[in-house]
Amino acid sequence: MRGALVEVRDLTWRPFGRREPALAGISLQIEPGSRVLLAGPSGSGKSTLLRALAGVLTSTETGDLTGSVLVDGLPSAGSSVGLMMQDPADALVAGRVGRDVAFGPESFGLPRDQIWSRVRSALASVGFPYDQAHATGALSGGETQRLALAGVLALTPGLVLLDEPTSMLDPMSAAVVREAIMSAVAASGATLVMVEHQLADWVDHLDRLVVLDHAGRVSLDGPVATTLAKSTDSLVAQGVWVPAVTAPRWLDVALALCAPTLPSGLGGLPPGVLVSAESVSVTRQPHASVMSANRPVGAVQALLDVCAEVRAGECVAVIGPSGAGKSTLTALLAGVEGPSQGRVCGRGELLAGMGGSPPEAIHRWTSRDLAARFGWVPQQAEQAIVGRTVRDDVLSTSRRLGLDDDASQARVDGLLEVLGLTALSGADPHHLSGGEQRRLALAGAIAHGPSVLVLDEPSVGQDRSTWSAVAGVIVAARDAGVGVVLATHDPLLIALADRRITLQAGRVLDLGVNSQPLPAPDAVAMMNEPAGRYAGLASRSGPLSLLLASIVLVLGAPFIFDLRTALIAMGVQVALAPVVLGVGPPSWRRLLPCLFAVASVSFSNWLLSPGREVSSGALAGLRVAFFVVPGVLLASRIDPSALGDHLGQGLRLPARPVVAAVAALHRFEGLGEHWDQLARIRRVRGLGPGRSPLGRGRSVAALTFGLLIETLRQAGRMAVSMEARGFSAAVTSGRRRTWAEPAPWLPSDSLMLALALVVAGLPVMLSRM
Amino acid sequence: MAKPRNTLFSTQTAKRSRKARATVLAARPLMRWRGVDLITAAMLAVAFGVVFWGFDTFIYPVLSLATANFPPAGELMLGVWLIPAVVGALVIRRPGAALFTELVAANVELFLGNKWGAAVLLSGVLQGLGVELVMALFRHRRYGVVVAALGGVFSAVFEIVLYEWQSYVADFSGAWKAVYLGCGMVSGAVIAGVGGWLLVRALARTGALNAFPPGQEVRESQVA
Repeated sequence: MRGALVEVRDLTWRPFGRREPALAGISLQIEPGSRVLLAGPSGSGKSTLLRALAGVLTSTETGDLTGSVLVDGLPSAGSSVGLMMQDPADALVAGRVGRDVAFGPESFGLPRDQIWSRVRSALASVGFPYDQAHATGALSGGETQRLALAGVLALTPGLVLLDEPTSMLDPMSAAVVREAIMSAVAASGATLVMVEHQLADWVDHLDRLVVLDHAGRVSLDGPVATTLAKSTDSLVAQGVWVPAVTAPRWLDVALALCAPTLPSGLGGLPPGVLVSAESVSVTRQPHASVMSANRPVGAVQALLDVCAEVRAGECVAVIGPSGAGKSTLTALLAGVEGPSQGRVCGRGELLAGMGGSPPEAIHRWTSRDLAARFGWVPQQAEQAIVGRTVRDDVLSTSRRLGLDDDASQARVDGLLEVLGLTALSGADPHHLSGGEQRRLALAGAIAHGPSVLVLDEPSVGQDRSTWSAVAGVIVAARDAGVGVVLATHDPLLIALADRRITLQAGRVLDLGVNSQPLPAPDAVAMMNEPAGRYAGLASRSGPLSLLLASIVLVLGAPFIFDLRTALIAMGVQVALAPVVLGVGPPSWRRLLPCLFAVASVSFSNWLLSPGREVSSGALAGLRVAFFVVPGVLLASRIDPSALGDHLGQGLRLPARPVVAAVAALHRFEGLGEHWDQLARIRRVRGLGPGRSPLGRGRSVAALTFGLLIETLRQAGRMAVSMEARGFSAAVTSGRRRTWAEPAPWLPSDSLMLALALVVAGLPVMLSRM
Repeated sequence: MAKPRNTLFSTQTAKRSRKARATVLAARPLMRWRGVDLITAAMLAVAFGVVFWGFDTFIYPVLSLATANFPPAGELMLGVWLIPAVVGALVIRRPGAALFTELVAANVELFLGNKWGAAVLLSGVLQGLGVELVMALFRHRRYGVVVAALGGVFSAVFEIVLYEWQSYVADFSGAWKAVYLGCGMVSGAVIAGVGGWLLVRALARTGALNAFPPGQEVRESQVA
């Protein structure tokens, strides 16, 4: 096939609520098969232009759109365009690799055999290392990025749009992804438009450079090499990272803006140790999951036997490939997470001013004690927002600590100025761009004068000038006596550090000492049925019959009018249990809550029945037990993804709501982790709940609100990504969605449903006798 | 894309009341849900599922022990579970939004392993239908605090009269059943209705609902 011709005519887009357009009169003609690099300062509308080219701009945003985008002479939509967004995790819609890639072909209604041939060729073209049954939750960042690319290529688009495809990756993974992109595009001949901040690695692969300016206009357009050579100065002035131009120097920042409030260990030699981690290991247990069939049972070893120190007036860089444990180690050193083994302790000057006898391990300190001494910026900086306005956000820890207000206000204003946020000081932090939010999080972490500053990827998404400001704050903090920890891939920041800790697969890599064989990165095992044991009729039944069986029992329960009926019905259920559920002990984790519920129903019905009859209580309890006990046990056998397939095919429910619900269910674990992260942020900012019930209630309310905001933003990004893969194609084209996997109704399903009908009918029959 | 357009919201707003702010409605036809409507409703439901999981695990057992001597008081917490239906309706503003959101939230509880088994799905349907009924009575044109509170009340009535009276409290005396229903209705009105309405307003002010009618209302009130 050949690439698509793209014609953009006078495209202008002004989102509602903004005075100035984000895209202002853009006209471009992109020839079939050409490869275009889209660059420009942060906030210049690059991602917006990509979404406009994909025809999904108005699917989640509102505003005035004028002009036209034509792809091969037609309005941009449908399977001719593939869009890959910045964070590949936003594109995940399924629990298994194969089904995830199949999403686009399913949406466009391809027959099943074609779906799977598309999936195979797409995975092969990105060099995907695992088979189609691999769990999407067990992939590294680079693998997820390649999976998202395969999801785009499965549509065989004539136009491929990529938004910063390697910005979240370490150099090695980035090279692999770059290779996958270039070979896949070369093989298909598709037209490529790509947004990228770091030009150096791409210029050899691309043939045209289009630069947007702050006003959302095309400021430069031409062949890559000549344009870069001709307009170096103007590009550098706009903050573009032009290859082979000297790296920017850090900004000189007044030390007073970054100095610790508490006495620092500076002055003594050797520099005082503030925090020491003594052979710490972290083993992560899987989060509570709704995806019973894909639940990983293995714990993941994130760190193993690591020692590290943070010293006053020293900057230490934690480096290593993605997934090596950098974020985990920094979270330990910031006291927001505790190790599974070993300990992380405060030392020397850091303990000054702590009343009583504080716990040794810093993760047990009170929120206030921790906040007074630590500042932390997490990798996902937008999670760090705690205030209603930018200025309010930066001030909040100082206020909570009761620091002198005039001085802290002056310090906050100084930091906002340095980090280029003064004009935004009254704005809602949620409205900031990604790069701005990261600088805001840095300001909030240092404004109250902590002695230890821990930063996870502080320079991502910064252009040349904002990079200088971020580096300036880091250097000034170090020089003022703060102990700084940086987890980063950025070679320019690594060069600023005094010391390095290199991690690989959770261990410190000692140069010169050959380390033992490292554990396999994929430590997540899949759940398997224990072999040899009869697993019951339920394990041979599809999700639909299990669900219907549970519901039928609910409907039978109200016909239980006397104890005799209740006891007979329960007796039959107990007798059938081994046949339906298999041999072996029941899952007490699932059974205990519902037994508790049965007991409480018994008690309350006894208490409030006319005449307080014991039999009323017993009857009420048994009536509830009749449907909740089997219902809970059957529900634990249902795989939500399979249920979606069956609801869409077997029951012919409308496909889009079913698909949306299944995709959302896959986000459950991620949202749970987000909740934990929000709680960590609030603790290190001094906003932890404290001990009073009121404080705890307020904290839960704040966390819930934060979780909902993130949920809505994630839903918007998912919607763009799913629409770009044809989620709503059936609505516009009238072609029905197809399903990659069949959903047969088997004889065992009929048997299961028949059994349930008999059991549910028992009370009706017995009450007539 | 030839001329300025706004595909997301209906240009026709509901009849302007004496109050300055007009109600923004979803784009017609009302039954044609956008992709982002479906995904957002489902994601909100899953997020509420996360919160409910914490509530069920850590808070509810304590509260239910505290109200053990007066079981109807436990029903004062019912409104918490009705919030997804009210919030779904207020955010999406299309027929079926309350039902879909509440049903997905019920599915989360089911798959996590809750104590009521598949009965949560039945509850979810009834709770969602209660809110749907109120929204339909107002012809999908009114989304104020009173409508939200009424939605919460009807959601509670459907849940209690059609399900809980038959199952959990079937052997209560008539008077106690009435008290139980009253507690549920108050909770539905206050926690789900007023609480859900306040929550949607607060979310809209952060800009997180910009793609939905409540976000558009906030922007229009800022322009005015």
